[in-house]
Amino acid sequence: MEIVVQSLVTGVLFGGLYALIGVGMSLIFGIMKITNIAHGDLMIMSTFLTMTFATSITGGNMFLAIVITCVVMAIVGILIQKFLVNKVIDKGSEPALLVTFGLSIAIQNALLLFYGPNSQSLSSELLNKNLVNTPWAIIPAQYAKNLVVAIVIIIILTIVMKYTSFGRAIRATSGDRMAAELMGVNTKRIFVLAMCMTMVATAIAGLLVGETFVFYPSTGTQYLIIAFGVVVIGGMGSIPGTLIGGIILGVSQMLGATFFGPTYQTLTGYIVMLVILTIKPQGLLSKKARL
Amino acid sequence: MDKKLGTEKGLRKPSLKAIIIIVILAALVTLPVWGSPYLMNIFVLVLLYIAIGQMWNLLAGYSGLVSLGQQAFVGIGGYCLAMTSQEYGLPLVLGFILAGVVSVVFALVISLPIFKMSGVYFTIGTWIVCECLRVFFSSWKFVNYSIGYNISATYKMLPSTIYFVALGIGVATTVLVILLLRSKFGLGLMAMRDNASAAEIRGIELYKTKLKCFLISSFVTGIAGAGLYLNIAFIQPNAAFGIDWTISMTFLVIIGGLGTIEGPIVGAVIFVLLRQLLYDFPGFSMLLLGVIAIAIILVAPKGIMGYVNERFGLDIFSIRRRLD
Repeated sequence: MEIVVQSLVTGVLFGGLYALIGVGMSLIFGIMKITNIAHGDLMIMSTFLTMTFATSITGGNMFLAIVITCVVMAIVGILIQKFLVNKVIDKGSEPALLVTFGLSIAIQNALLLFYGPNSQSLSSELLNKNLVNTPWAIIPAQYAKNLVVAIVIIIILTIVMKYTSFGRAIRATSGDRMAAELMGVNTKRIFVLAMCMTMVATAIAGLLVGETFVFYPSTGTQYLIIAFGVVVIGGMGSIPGTLIGGIILGVSQMLGATFFGPTYQTLTGYIVMLVILTIKPQGLLSKKARL
Repeated sequence: MDKKLGTEKGLRKPSLKAIIIIVILAALVTLPVWGSPYLMNIFVLVLLYIAIGQMWNLLAGYSGLVSLGQQAFVGIGGYCLAMTSQEYGLPLVLGFILAGVVSVVFALVISLPIFKMSGVYFTIGTWIVCECLRVFFSSWKFVNYSIGYNISATYKMLPSTIYFVALGIGVATTVLVILLLRSKFGLGLMAMRDNASAAEIRGIELYKTKLKCFLISSFVTGIAGAGLYLNIAFIQPNAAFGIDWTISMTFLVIIGGLGTIEGPIVGAVIFVLLRQLLYDFPGFSMLLLGVIAIAIILVAPKGIMGYVNERFGLDIFSIRRRLD
């Protein structure tokens, strides 16, 4: 019984982090109707950047390092959107998918060239401390931090989308691009800003992933699939949906690991994703597809 | 008058094409006689990549099913070959037959959930299925966990035997695709890709057509997968079900030209040569491939053959129908 409670708790904690990983992808899909295959690699790239900045520029100051990373990733996002994705976005969804696929391979191999294949980690003193330590459940401080940061970012994104004029322009664009354009919204500019915003969220996700798990250049793919899972369970384009998607994915992974052994952790997650995709092909919380 | 001109043109062109094709085929068949073993090995790769590229192209370029999960069938094909020869000591031919059959059966089973998804969800779904297979094979005793197998039956094989197997697979696949696309089925397929609802109104059963395409491509990719592992002679789940296979298929089709028959052929030649030239810089060659693929999508979205086709009207394996 204790072990089930523990895996539920850990699942929910992981779910928060998963949600933060997936939220950027969900936003991009909701706004531009494209799937960013490079999402996981961009996140791992930001983790590597944070590591480099922390050791070489800020002298171990993580906060300063993540601020620099956010700025760099925002610029990277602007460049990718302006010079790659915006060029092909009018030609349908496949060219954009393939461009991000090419980008994913390029980033992964560039990281491999610069940093080598070995696993790395960002040191975090929170990892070995426990926030709650009872016979029923242990909550490591780092996991709690992940969940809190994820919830804060997701709330901020929701507020931005709901109450600012920028958010309204984004929602108008994702609802009907032509109409938004006619109402004076520069949709391509909106795309650039949206990509910039998601890259900042992704950089923060990258920091938390780096602090919690070991990472190496090829882990991007693994997180891409997690992001996929979160997004397809929660429904593409739904920000609160990512939180639910993340928690379902995290809990099912942990329960799978508890009942079938640790090797089945990933497999259970994948199978839950496939089952949900089969039953509700548009995700649990997605709005009805607009045709 | 017009009609006569049309037939005259129609007569002259195919004969020139036929000569080119016969010359290329003759060169390929006699390659073991005049070529070095190294050249033969390169052509083994080119021919097998043509086969898997044609199949990815059939899915993505002609039926609009962008799959990132074709490596499932490469892996299944490879494992069928390894299991039959290594575990049960059966002849390799049986492994090839089994590779095709098991792939089709697996495709049929996963088509039930996968075909409920459409567009991008299909793309993601196929990939997740492969990841499931990869993780499952790594923890499955029957296939020796993640240690895998050496396929020792291939050690004694002559390089020319492997070459002829690859040649058979590559040429047969290309012929199959041409025949398929020239048939009524192919016409329906392209109609479906260009406008699904209009095609459906004209009597094309969308689900059945897509399913047939998916099954054909899984069958051939399975056999080509067995061919690839005949050449590699060592199988292990992480590589067999790795996304790298699909990356290769995608890139060679994009570089060559999506939705053309010549595309995967040209793409496979460029892809294999590039990889061989940059063999000493493994990371760099993939990086370069990524950049080339992006550049081609931006500059010539229809790939090299699509561009040549548009610019010079060169169309070697025409699948278009004459209207005269």
